[in-house]
Amino acid sequence: MLIPRRIAHRKQHRPDRSGAAKGGTRVVFGEYGIQALEHAYVTNRQIEAARIAMTRHIRRGGKVWITIYPDRPLTKKPAETRMGSGKGSPEWWVANVKPGRVMFELSGVAEPVAREALRRAMHKLPMKCRFVKREVGEA
Amino acid sequence: MAEVRIDAQTRSEFGKGAARRTRRTGRVPAVLYGHGTATRHISLPDHDLMMALKTPNALLRIDGLPGGNQLAIPKAVQRDAIKGVIEHVDLILVRQGEKVIVEVPIQTTGEIFSGGLLDQQLIQITLAAEATQIPQSVSVDIEGMRVGGSVHAGDLILPAGTALAVDPDVLILHVLAAPTAEQIEADLGGAPEAAEAAAAPAAVETPSAAESG
Repeated sequence: MLIPRRIAHRKQHRPDRSGAAKGGTRVVFGEYGIQALEHAYVTNRQIEAARIAMTRHIRRGGKVWITIYPDRPLTKKPAETRMGSGKGSPEWWVANVKPGRVMFELSGVAEPVAREALRRAMHKLPMKCRFVKREVGEA
Repeated sequence: MAEVRIDAQTRSEFGKGAARRTRRTGRVPAVLYGHGTATRHISLPDHDLMMALKTPNALLRIDGLPGGNQLAIPKAVQRDAIKGVIEHVDLILVRQGEKVIVEVPIQTTGEIFSGGLLDQQLIQITLAAEATQIPQSVSVDIEGMRVGGSVHAGDLILPAGTALAVDPDVLILHVLAAPTAEQIEADLGGAPEAAEAAAAPAAVETPSAAESG
């Protein structure tokens, strides 16, 4: 599971959920990928579940890249607690994903296998996504 | 490579508001520069441009410019990440017979030996080619390539009239050993325990941050 080794601050503000992805919007490492179409906080557990789903389907012959990283902590107050008395304790690690961001890439398998593997992975993610292919030959 | 004729109109207003008005009329804002000339701000019909740019390094004959038509190739294309529509294009002027540096797609042909995993490091290669004869792709034969096999830039068979514009030692692709069944099982099987262990955030603050905060 992806988790930062060292951080500057244990509790942070909630990440900004506006706008579109500024970079990482194309498939660059593999041949196929999953692109986000909505904003979402993707937890490290969801990333791991998606990775396992696609790895289990492709078995031998494929290579997977994860191009997001859950580097933002989210906090949560315990249930039935009165308001105040400080910020809650860190509960999740999330990647702040914006529309257009390519999150996973895959190569080394035929397109139908890649489509199915990535479709299974998309079911583990908390937002609408789509299958994208690498584009070549554009400046 | 065949030329694609495209009609340009000179733009007189600039900025995001003007660019959006231009796009609403079915045209794409573009700039044209090169050969030490002043940059010209133009707009191009969106559908014609989209069709022309389906060909890598398309050679465009820009009509409707003051002083006659000009040859140009796309230098940079900005697209909307979600919709894929072209938002802006940078075009660079070229002349007949002039050598230009371009990125040409690399296409693989054939299948590698079973048990291997193809790792393609570069999908485009930088070549020096004549502006009017830019190849559409460079093909690499990987038929029967075994684990450990590799192709470097210097190994590519380049089309006539082109030359490499990168170091010949640059790795294009190589064949890795595919993971074994045990490795895959270990990778998948080890996951649930790791998930339990890391359920709560475990990262530690750096000492300097802890002191200051």
